[in-house]
Amino acid sequence: MAEHIIDSIFLFLPEITLTLTLVAAVLADLVLKERNRMVAWVVFAGLLVTGVFVLRQCGLNESIFSDMIAVDPFSVFFKGLLTIAGLFIVLFSVVSKELEQNGRRIGEYYMLLTGVLLGMFLMAGATNVLMMYLAFELTSISSYVLSGFTKNLRKSAEASMKYIIYGSVSSGFLLYGLTLLIGITGSTDIYGIRDALQSSVGHDAVLYLSVMMILVGFSYKITVLPFHFWAPDVYEGAPTPITTFLATASKIAGFALLMRFFRISFVDGGITDFAGYEGIIAVIPWNIIVAILATLTMVGANLMALWQDNIKRLLAYSSISHAGFILMGLVLLNDEGMAAMMVYLAIYLVMNMGAFFIAMIISDRLHTERISDYQGLGRSSPFLGVSMAIFLVALAGFPPTAGFIAKIFIFGAVIHAGWIWLVVVAGFSTVISLFYYIRVVKNMFLSEPPDSMKPIETSRGVMAVVIMLLIPVFVFGIWFSPLLSWARDAVVLFGL
Amino acid sequence: MELSAFLFYFFALLIIGSAAIMVFSKNIVHSAFALMFTLAGLAAFYALLYAGFVAVTQLLVYVGGILVIVLFGVMLTTRGYFEKIKTRTVHLLPAALFSMAIAIILITVFLSTEWILAPLEEEVFTVQGIGELLMTDYMLPFQVVGVLLLLAIIGAVLMATRVAGEEEPPSASG
Repeated sequence: MAEHIIDSIFLFLPEITLTLTLVAAVLADLVLKERNRMVAWVVFAGLLVTGVFVLRQCGLNESIFSDMIAVDPFSVFFKGLLTIAGLFIVLFSVVSKELEQNGRRIGEYYMLLTGVLLGMFLMAGATNVLMMYLAFELTSISSYVLSGFTKNLRKSAEASMKYIIYGSVSSGFLLYGLTLLIGITGSTDIYGIRDALQSSVGHDAVLYLSVMMILVGFSYKITVLPFHFWAPDVYEGAPTPITTFLATASKIAGFALLMRFFRISFVDGGITDFAGYEGIIAVIPWNIIVAILATLTMVGANLMALWQDNIKRLLAYSSISHAGFILMGLVLLNDEGMAAMMVYLAIYLVMNMGAFFIAMIISDRLHTERISDYQGLGRSSPFLGVSMAIFLVALAGFPPTAGFIAKIFIFGAVIHAGWIWLVVVAGFSTVISLFYYIRVVKNMFLSEPPDSMKPIETSRGVMAVVIMLLIPVFVFGIWFSPLLSWARDAVVLFGL
Repeated sequence: MELSAFLFYFFALLIIGSAAIMVFSKNIVHSAFALMFTLAGLAAFYALLYAGFVAVTQLLVYVGGILVIVLFGVMLTTRGYFEKIKTRTVHLLPAALFSMAIAIILITVFLSTEWILAPLEEEVFTVQGIGELLMTDYMLPFQVVGVLLLLAIIGAVLMATRVAGEEEPPSASG
């Protein structure tokens, strides 16, 4: 046992580094002068070290801490994405005026940020329902506080309160579902659950009830209709770096956990080559339920986005609709579908962060989040305008940006599995989404700027961050094979 | 009826009854006291399952600690501590139908399920077993709970401190 724990510790270095970073952030906040900037760089350095440890885990396929956590290519892929997200969010937070003016105790801010990231790392690897729930809560509790961090702003306090209430409901559903699952399988780790489900002949109604509840719990986290209603309010009210974090990293971690849980618990190991749902398809067709959820999400969110005038709300609805596109991969649950989901999540991370970042810069300088105030912005400040347009075009899914590649792969995988109607719906909702993305671009470029509008000067740091986000949007749009092969190699889960 | 079965049903009724009082009472102090009976009844359940350590912890932490803090919180924050909470029922019919449907589904499912039942082991000392498991198989969750509680405390301090306009000395951070 002692050897196993020691071996496990050496395979757990990224998470340990994150925990140490968390402690270092608090200490730095207490000790250092000029703490606002310094704490950020301490956390940034900690995340860089974490990233190095994550890279060193490439190719491992182990289960550690008595089957609590898996260190496999799948979790390494997601930990890599989450580290990138964390690094950018630290940069966003340093730039954000909103945090500088309204947020005190910035040390605690970065500490909680690291805590959320730790929870997400655990979500990416958790193979035991106890661990899954703990990771879920670690992420949620810190996110509640972060979304209310600028709490002297009324909307931020409101966002935090709404998030706590809806988040508790989702945790309750998830926990109830997991308990029922333990009750019928007698096991808490997902391998044991799979074995119990496969050996017992009759799948009771309680199995479907519990999976339904687990699905509802996850649907809140990844904002799937009809469990999305907290998202626009929380995304609008939270400080923009945190909104970006919730819209990207939180969703990535939620999808990672959902994919691993469904794939391992409910899929028969012997027949994973073609379609994924045979293990549980016996009575209720799960894939059709997931497909309906995806359809609702894509169409509903895109329709609701048409009426938004607040850029953060618009991007919130856009991110909900993207969750629908990604959920299409879960309908298949085979290797191809999962690889397409992972490619989509990676590209979604970059383009969504870019759009939110520019919205944050504009909101900091012009003190407006209304799209109608964006008039002529592309002419008065061309760099920001053009970059925003590129990110929005990528989100809409046009070539030659990476957004096109993301959509192509997920559509291709879904067609290949024979779900033609789902792709038709997805294509239709892509067309709807064009309207609201283009409306922002039209406002920025086709209208004259009002006389009072001064150009927004951008510092070199801001430009560097924008360019760092623009490069992958273009590179992966043209030269996508490395990302694809990485994702394909990463569909290796421990225990399959 | 066996004594243990009798005790089980007695405490089950106590838990459900006091939980109902907690939810439906409009006086927050009454609610808090009803919650105490719910939590104490749960501790009795653990004791009936020979989980002595968990039962004692439940009493110490929930009944002894959290409940007292809830009562103190109520007394220190509200102006009059017997103030009626403003409650209003909205969407009575849909909510009732929804709850009924959920209750029926849950009850039918629970009755029709073959649960995995572990035999009851009459252990007197469970502390050693728990301690060994926490240091071996459940070491990681044990540590992660530590981080979770740390973040929860700091988050609560962050949320609870007053900011409305006034300047705070930086040394007051939690």
